[in-house]
Amino acid sequence: MLEARGLVKDYRRDRAVDGVDLVVRAGERVALLGPNGAGKTTTLLMILGVVSPDAGAVTICGFDLAHHRSQAAECVGFAAGYLPLTERMRVREYLRLYAQLYGIAEPNPLIDEGLERFRIADLAGAMGTELSSGQRTLIGIVRATLHRPRLLVLDEPTASLDPDVAQRVRGGLLDLCDRDGTALLMTSHDMSDVIQVCERVVFLSHGRIVADGPPEAVASAYGRGDLEGVFLHLAERHEPTGAQQSDHP
Amino acid sequence: MNQLTAAKPMSARAKSWLRMRAIARRHAYVLLRSPHRLFDVSLWPLVDVLLFGSLAAFVGTSGSTSAAKASGYLLAGIVLWHVIYQSQIAMSTGLLEETWTRNLLNLMVTPLREVEYLGGVALFGMVKLVIGVGVMVLGALAFFSFRTWSLGFGLVPIVAVLLVVGWAISLFVMGLVLRFGTGAEALAWGVMFVLLPLSGVFYPTKALPTLMQPLALALPTTHAFTALRSLVDHRGSDWSQLTIAAVGSLAMLGLAMWFLVAMLRTFRKRGYITRYT
Repeated sequence: MLEARGLVKDYRRDRAVDGVDLVVRAGERVALLGPNGAGKTTTLLMILGVVSPDAGAVTICGFDLAHHRSQAAECVGFAAGYLPLTERMRVREYLRLYAQLYGIAEPNPLIDEGLERFRIADLAGAMGTELSSGQRTLIGIVRATLHRPRLLVLDEPTASLDPDVAQRVRGGLLDLCDRDGTALLMTSHDMSDVIQVCERVVFLSHGRIVADGPPEAVASAYGRGDLEGVFLHLAERHEPTGAQQSDHP
Repeated sequence: MNQLTAAKPMSARAKSWLRMRAIARRHAYVLLRSPHRLFDVSLWPLVDVLLFGSLAAFVGTSGSTSAAKASGYLLAGIVLWHVIYQSQIAMSTGLLEETWTRNLLNLMVTPLREVEYLGGVALFGMVKLVIGVGVMVLGALAFFSFRTWSLGFGLVPIVAVLLVVGWAISLFVMGLVLRFGTGAEALAWGVMFVLLPLSGVFYPTKALPTLMQPLALALPTTHAFTALRSLVDHRGSDWSQLTIAAVGSLAMLGLAMWFLVAMLRTFRKRGYITRYT
């Protein structure tokens, strides 16, 4: 589904991503974790074809991203908690716009189904500016899943959401992945997201993958009781003064 | 069978056309739901025709042949100038709208190709152009009894050249915005104020300071407006000037496309998308 090999990205003098190899198989639900500045978002942006890697290659659904970005993008949906809705549009108009960008000429049944999945059908006629941040996030996820992507990429999907809305997001994602066999790659700072939704975690630190496996196995390899402990351990090592310390267990 | 698998597969060309229409519709919403944007295609063109039409009327009262000519140059010049202005502003503000509203990432992760985005913005830009220039043509008729269409079919190639130049400038501005951020947006408007006097929109370039004349002659717009004055003077289409203008405008468009592609490559390479997330 997704195959990223040897991804490297330098920003000025800093290496943001340093040789990331990441394979996500069909239907797999993977969390990309790590402290701030670990290289998660840069890795996602390279996987989405928005940032060019300095080295390495990405293949999605068999399409080489460097040469067939548009075809590869047809297989992918992306949403991020920090992204705004396109302004001056009603929710249905907004969803229709993006469905058409994915090549769906008559998207209304899919829009209704998507809104229903997250129990927000009543928002179809609302203007984007009238929505709360939680509602905007939900609409963003509906948009990302309208075209039934084979790979769904989510950057902080539950950031700033109330616990009940976050729970609805997690339920909707699991429902989608189970029903359509969609693979999921998500970042999150909320370990309850990860535990409930993902079956595999990949920890990044200083732009490198330092752990990859089922959540329990990764926690155990670091001698921690849970993922939160691994996260805190890596965050400590990520401080500038701790740069010389090993990120590996 | 779900909706997607039941749907008839679309050809790549049909998908491209669908995406372009979707982008055009998105910008139609922006225009219709931002009343101040309607000023660009209604009030400001009308103000321009009023200003330059009044100047033309004042100049024309002296009764001399050259005064009558200048009067025609002013009105025809300002109407045709808006072909460049409207096409350039419609395209440039199309991209700027995405940066102002942090919408670039939303678009860049979709299958939308850059050329499809430009096609969609240009498509809606043509609608704005027709409205904006239409308002001017009607204003010139209503206020000053100036019949733009009396200049004849010779206007068609001039409009085409000016349209291409407007697009070329907008691609150049877009490239600068991608490279330097929204700080470069001042150029979207500023570049027009540089081009306006140098292109001899209202006067022959001989009227410019000697030092500026070679620069003016290098611009395709200068030759297009020279051809326009030939129509105003009832000398028919000046094909030699039109040929120079057409070749120059196409060269300018090619250069602008190359520049935009290079800036887009830099945008992706340096991860400038983070400016807009």
